[in-house]
Amino acid sequence: MLDLFALLLIFSGITFFFLGAIGLLRLPDLHSRLHALTKADNLGLGLLIVGVALLHGSLLVALKLLLIWLLVLLGSATSAHLISQYSLRRNRS
Amino acid sequence: MIDSDKSSRRAAKPVSDVLSNSPLIVANPLYTLSILGLLSLVWLLLAGQDWNSWLVGLPAVILATWSTLLLRAPAEGRFNLPGFLRFLPYFIWESILGGIDVASRVVSPKMRIAPGFLSYRMRLSHPSARRLFVNSLSLLPGTLAADLDGDSLHIHALDRGTDPDGELKRLERMVSAVYGEDL
Repeated sequence: MLDLFALLLIFSGITFFFLGAIGLLRLPDLHSRLHALTKADNLGLGLLIVGVALLHGSLLVALKLLLIWLLVLLGSATSAHLISQYSLRRNRS
Repeated sequence: MIDSDKSSRRAAKPVSDVLSNSPLIVANPLYTLSILGLLSLVWLLLAGQDWNSWLVGLPAVILATWSTLLLRAPAEGRFNLPGFLRFLPYFIWESILGGIDVASRVVSPKMRIAPGFLSYRMRLSHPSARRLFVNSLSLLPGTLAADLDGDSLHIHALDRGTDPDGELKRLERMVSAVYGEDL
């Protein structure tokens, strides 16, 4: 039962990654694309990690996955900000 | 990291200045212990339960704690645990909404988007509080921190039809509680 729930979480995580990629292709401009990449992938990775942690069942591994998620969150928010800032300042000058 | 406008960039201190800052370590034992504990946990997570790994881990943790204390900016806000525990569920819930919002927009055939920029005047003053605010607002539904210029933050909104001002004020209040800052 728990395994089934974990698999459900993993598959919905993958779905959000997939939707993020669709957003990257369909959205019209750089800033809108960054929305899809930061938010959909953040949620996708979160769901994936909860699913994998439930499947594995060890607290140490769960905390390690949580650490990975936090680093990815920090990395994606920071890089999205830098990309958007660079494009704005280049267009202005 | 995010606070990259030129006015607030601190001038690099000479190394000798930084090293002579060591009384700091004795000054705040509780802070030192919590950094030490946190970094030991990170080592445990990275290396697993092999106790021989602490041969390398212990010196690394001590050196990392030491450099954290040396490089800490003097004016950082005080971290407030109850404030953080209130912020966490709010952040998780909003990032779930943010992911669902953007995903549902891109799969709908007509894509209900009206992208545009707006600016927001930040009231937070501590650098760490600002960092948390700017980074988390990019993960909230519909908003992305595009550029920072002093107190004024340029935000890209996926849908200009909805006004994010109330949500931003709410997030700012939550962040200010994490660092014990009065708005």
